[in-house]
Amino acid sequence: MTTQNDVYVIGVGMHPFMRDAPSLRDMYFTAASAALKDAGIRFQDIGYLYNGYIGGTFLEGITFAKDLGLTNVPIVHVENASATGSCAFREAVNAVRGGHCEAAMAVGFDDMMKFSRSRAMAQMGDGPKIDSTILPAAFFAMWAVRRMHDHGTSVETYAKIAAKNWNHARHNPMAQRQAAQEVTAAEILAAPEVSYPHTTKMACAAGGGAAAAIVATKEVAERLAGGRPMVRVAASQMKSEHYTPGHVFLGAVIGPEDLTRVTTEAVYQEAGVGPTDVDLVHVHDAFPIEELMYTELMGFAEPGEGDRLVANGDTSIGGRIPFSTDGGLTARGHPGGPTGLAQIWDSVQQLRGESGVRQVKGARNALVHMMGAGSICVMHLLQRDGDI
Amino acid sequence: MTPQPIEDGYFVIKGEQPVLLGSYSPSTGNTYYPQRKLCPVTSEPVETVELPTEGELYSWTYVRMKMIGSTESTEGGGHGVGQIDLPCGTRVQSIIQGDMGDWTIGMKMRLALLPLKTDRDKNLSYCSYCFVPVND
Repeated sequence: MTTQNDVYVIGVGMHPFMRDAPSLRDMYFTAASAALKDAGIRFQDIGYLYNGYIGGTFLEGITFAKDLGLTNVPIVHVENASATGSCAFREAVNAVRGGHCEAAMAVGFDDMMKFSRSRAMAQMGDGPKIDSTILPAAFFAMWAVRRMHDHGTSVETYAKIAAKNWNHARHNPMAQRQAAQEVTAAEILAAPEVSYPHTTKMACAAGGGAAAAIVATKEVAERLAGGRPMVRVAASQMKSEHYTPGHVFLGAVIGPEDLTRVTTEAVYQEAGVGPTDVDLVHVHDAFPIEELMYTELMGFAEPGEGDRLVANGDTSIGGRIPFSTDGGLTARGHPGGPTGLAQIWDSVQQLRGESGVRQVKGARNALVHMMGAGSICVMHLLQRDGDI
Repeated sequence: MTPQPIEDGYFVIKGEQPVLLGSYSPSTGNTYYPQRKLCPVTSEPVETVELPTEGELYSWTYVRMKMIGSTESTEGGGHGVGQIDLPCGTRVQSIIQGDMGDWTIGMKMRLALLPLKTDRDKNLSYCSYCFVPVND
């Protein structure tokens, strides 16, 4: 391995996730401008720009970037299903790591409400295909049913996970689902069913939004820090599937579960940390079965013991290992392209100590995980420099 | 009407019985579905094989949406989806027939045709496949 630059996140910004979102162009500008302002630099200082989006046309990202300036900056369109924003971030990290520039920006944007139907119809072509008959909701639900069989997990456990994430989102101004009052597990269970055992309030919120992050070399980060804590990218890993017994090739596939385990191990090794060092976690929690499984696959509980973490409130803010401190895909929302960058937005603010009532006290290490259907797993370990 | 696979390469129809087409890897002894170009473990050549038509239900769910490609929620109507482990070690994800309460993990399931649309001019019934609970 050749020498690599240390990489720091110097700026983050978002446009709130919402069901009735404004234009993609406006959300893009809001998120990117917020990240530039947060970093304290101009667009002219960005050496590489990665646009992450799933819907829309292939020209959108490069067109929207013109609102920020015409600077000769190289611009790349990144797409990798739910992990699109995470991959755009990783590309920006690699651009700085590899010495190609001093600062790079990733911007993610999408509006599920505007593209999902047209995209689905386009994929159908002249009619249904065998590979298009099974929805991701079914894939996760079968995971949940099998878990109930193997470990006696109850539907109440799934409801508690979802309620916890709804309640985390209540204090996140960027979240799509901001309940006026505390959400109970009973309310989650009373919602209409999507795919047994999951209800609509357990399912990720579909809507629109944008998020951005800027990464830079240590020298740039130190120059711009201005007394604020610096956040280092201690690990960046990405893996696609490997074969395991029971491997499913056809239909919606977001896994296999072992994919998260091996990617997590690679992150821990690169960062030189273990699960006991992690202070908060973001995961691809499209449905609560995912969060439950990831508590174990990431090493926070033994196989079959994740239910106990949920029962004890260990995964809530204030608990031993808080998951989805901004509400996660369930309640912060999952527009697609910006989702992974929203995780970075929350993690960076947590590590700087800027998260207000959502603050995880003494947070030094944030583990950030995203799955992309097909499937891939992208993970980062963000680490606060210096004393807390 | 004559049943016809909606898409080539996934299954053949023998009489009224669909038979899935998979790939056997001599280098690992694994059998995969659907067919692979090469063994995904060794990148060695694979052989096309017909898969067993019965297996055990590994997991299931009932999706409260229209079945194929639609994202519109329905008033209670939906469809079953399951993962079925075949005796050759292959797990198949498929539509399953039945309703809530009809399925238990480990139950025997049998492959069947799933009619999707018809072409009356050609007298063809385009089909996918599904698994059906076997009540011996």
